[in-house]
Amino acid sequence: MAYSEKVLDHYNHPRNVGSLDKADPTVGTGMVGAPECGDVMKLQVKVNPTTGIIEEAKFKTFGCGSAIASSSLATEWLRGKTVDEALAIKNTDIVNELSLPPVKIHCSVLAEDAIKAAIDDYKKKSAHV
Amino acid sequence: MKLYEALGLEPALALHMEEVKKHFYERSRQWHPDKFSRASAAEQDLALEMTAVLNDAYRTLRDPVSRAEYFLKERGIELSKDAPAELLEEVFELNMALEELRDGDASVRAQLEQSAAKFRSMQMVSDTELASLFIHHDAAPGPAKLDQIRAALNRRRYVSNLVRDVEKELHVHSAN
Repeated sequence: MAYSEKVLDHYNHPRNVGSLDKADPTVGTGMVGAPECGDVMKLQVKVNPTTGIIEEAKFKTFGCGSAIASSSLATEWLRGKTVDEALAIKNTDIVNELSLPPVKIHCSVLAEDAIKAAIDDYKKKSAHV
Repeated sequence: MKLYEALGLEPALALHMEEVKKHFYERSRQWHPDKFSRASAAEQDLALEMTAVLNDAYRTLRDPVSRAEYFLKERGIELSKDAPAELLEEVFELNMALEELRDGDASVRAQLEQSAAKFRSMQMVSDTELASLFIHHDAAPGPAKLDQIRAALNRRRYVSNLVRDVEKELHVHSAN
């Protein structure tokens, strides 16, 4: 199967690979996985608590090119967005941007789930501060 | 359920291997295509078809996992689409270690072998769990029990995929 140029670009030059300090109260961590394969995706956001803006986003994905590209793109989009704007990102936005074929749509779903899980984690943590 | 019927078995989740085997041998003898060498073309076709169904039934029903997957499918229950959340952290660490192994760092081998052993024992626990869920289900079937079985199967499948992947990588990267 041929990957689109954008997928290949993200796959070969993934943006924002790495990790943030999980223990930091301004960092939210989302960990999601696909049941069929052993794909796992970790996505983290660092939020400025006063502005509610995501200042940093990092990811590390073990999976196919589309899964890596979806999460890489997600971190690019997350930077500079508010928490609520981040929650509005839909998997279909990722599908369109990367021209993912139908068999790879689950990769974009995984990325959307990872965003939601990371924001959720951040919200839970900040509620306790 | 077609495959149970083919073997002349009542649809049940808890089945004895020996029982399945006995039925399979009996029916296979009965439908053996050699016995139909002088029969009509239609009968010969039927014998061939029955033999194929019997082989399929035996393959599917002798193994507890494939049997349960078939049973759920026949009941219209799809296997779960979620990875077991409680395992993700560990799976992530496992993948990190695998990546290091691929990059030539042999020091992670011990850690990986440990994880493989751990996942293998999880697999065994899953098997026991499934066996007892089967018995409970057969004694008093119900959707709640099928749901539990579905979750247990999902976990079992996920864990066994992990074991397979880790063992493969350990094997590929051994001896160098």
